[in-house]
Amino acid sequence: FRYTRNLVDNGNGKFNLMILCWGEGHGSSIHDHTDSHCFMKILQGNLKETLFEWPEKKGNGEMTKKSERVLRENQCAYINDSIGLHRVENISHTEPAVSLHLYSPPFNTCNTFDQRTGHKHKVTMTFYSQFGERTVC
Amino acid sequence: LPAGLSQWFPALEVLDVSGTGLTEMGTELLSLPCLHTLLAKNNRLGGPGSLPKGLEQAPLARSLRVLNLSGNRFSEVPPALLQLRGLRSLSLGGNRLHGIPPDIQELHSLEFLYLGGNFITAIPPELAKLPSLRYLVLCDNKIQSIPPQLAQLHSLRSLSLHNNLLTYLPREILNLVHLDELSLRGNPLVVRFVRDLTYNPPSLQELAGRTIKTRNVPYAPSDLPESLVRYLSLASNCPNPKCGGVYFDSCVRQIKFVDFCGKYRLPLMHYLCSPECSSPFSSASQSSTSQSESDSEDEASIAAHRMQKVLLG
Repeated sequence: FRYTRNLVDNGNGKFNLMILCWGEGHGSSIHDHTDSHCFMKILQGNLKETLFEWPEKKGNGEMTKKSERVLRENQCAYINDSIGLHRVENISHTEPAVSLHLYSPPFNTCNTFDQRTGHKHKVTMTFYSQFGERTVC
Repeated sequence: LPAGLSQWFPALEVLDVSGTGLTEMGTELLSLPCLHTLLAKNNRLGGPGSLPKGLEQAPLARSLRVLNLSGNRFSEVPPALLQLRGLRSLSLGGNRLHGIPPDIQELHSLEFLYLGGNFITAIPPELAKLPSLRYLVLCDNKIQSIPPQLAQLHSLRSLSLHNNLLTYLPREILNLVHLDELSLRGNPLVVRFVRDLTYNPPSLQELAGRTIKTRNVPYAPSDLPESLVRYLSLASNCPNPKCGGVYFDSCVRQIKFVDFCGKYRLPLMHYLCSPECSSPFSSASQSSTSQSESDSEDEASIAAHRMQKVLLG
């Protein structure tokens, strides 16, 4: 009942190429990209990307929003840790959205951040499916 | 809808008329005996005639499983809709709803309910009477509080509450045993410690009522005026397991923070019979008494066990 990550290609260990499927109202947490490059292209629908500053070392306040934009079909975006953190969400209540993501080098853990406090929390990311087969966890 | 619809396609099961500018759907729907999915999103429905009259008797009332009316102009849930007794999935996302009718409980087969992106200010406790509800979306509304009865939604797997006006949650939310996902971001959830909210000292009637209940003073309906007999039957038990007391109208509301998975602090509202009472356990846990300071830690570890994908930040 949340967005799904579907692995399409793992480029001989050099990258992960995946398709994300977002239902109406689905969004991600604020997250980093574990020192990797992250490219995103919208294949269907629209996704809102909100950029955040990294919280202060002793983060204990609301995180600072840098900017936000709505990405339309076929638009591309890029982010890495030196640019900042972001939240991606499908703000439509009527249309699902689909996006293509390329991460290089591949990573399966990242940090998620609490917008109210800046506290971070390491998470392991999972795939809903890989190469067309449902991943059972 | 075209007049000959049910004659041309009597076996129709899925009808998608989304994005066609429809302002009403008439009796053509009533004679489609096999229709189980109706998608009518992004239209101009919302006025009278949006749904046909006589729905109650039509086969549609029993056959329809999925109804999507998102992106229309409904300012209230049309009463006719509540006749669709077989409905499993309903979406009214992105409309102009200001509330949810208590009669929503009539849709007793409902598993999926999407009401995101409206102007809803409150949730009726009757929503909790939907026994099969698994997925409830209330994001992007104007909801200020969650009724504690919502904890009775035993089948609930996913609850979306982000972007509302919630400052706290009822502690009963920890009773949602099967809840896997909870989104709470974009709510003005109380972050700092909040002093005990105003406590109005109990009236003499309340004090007398409490004494009768806690000391088990026997009484019979012939001993008291009917109004007082009714009053005594409304006693609520103080949830503090060490207290055993009761309260009627006068209770202390206290926000207690539950540390969630050690990362987030959820402000939960506790009701206690007096300021001297300490905050209670989650009533779903069967464990024995423990000190009040570690109450919130125990509540949290039980809750963390159950809620795996809390999306707070």
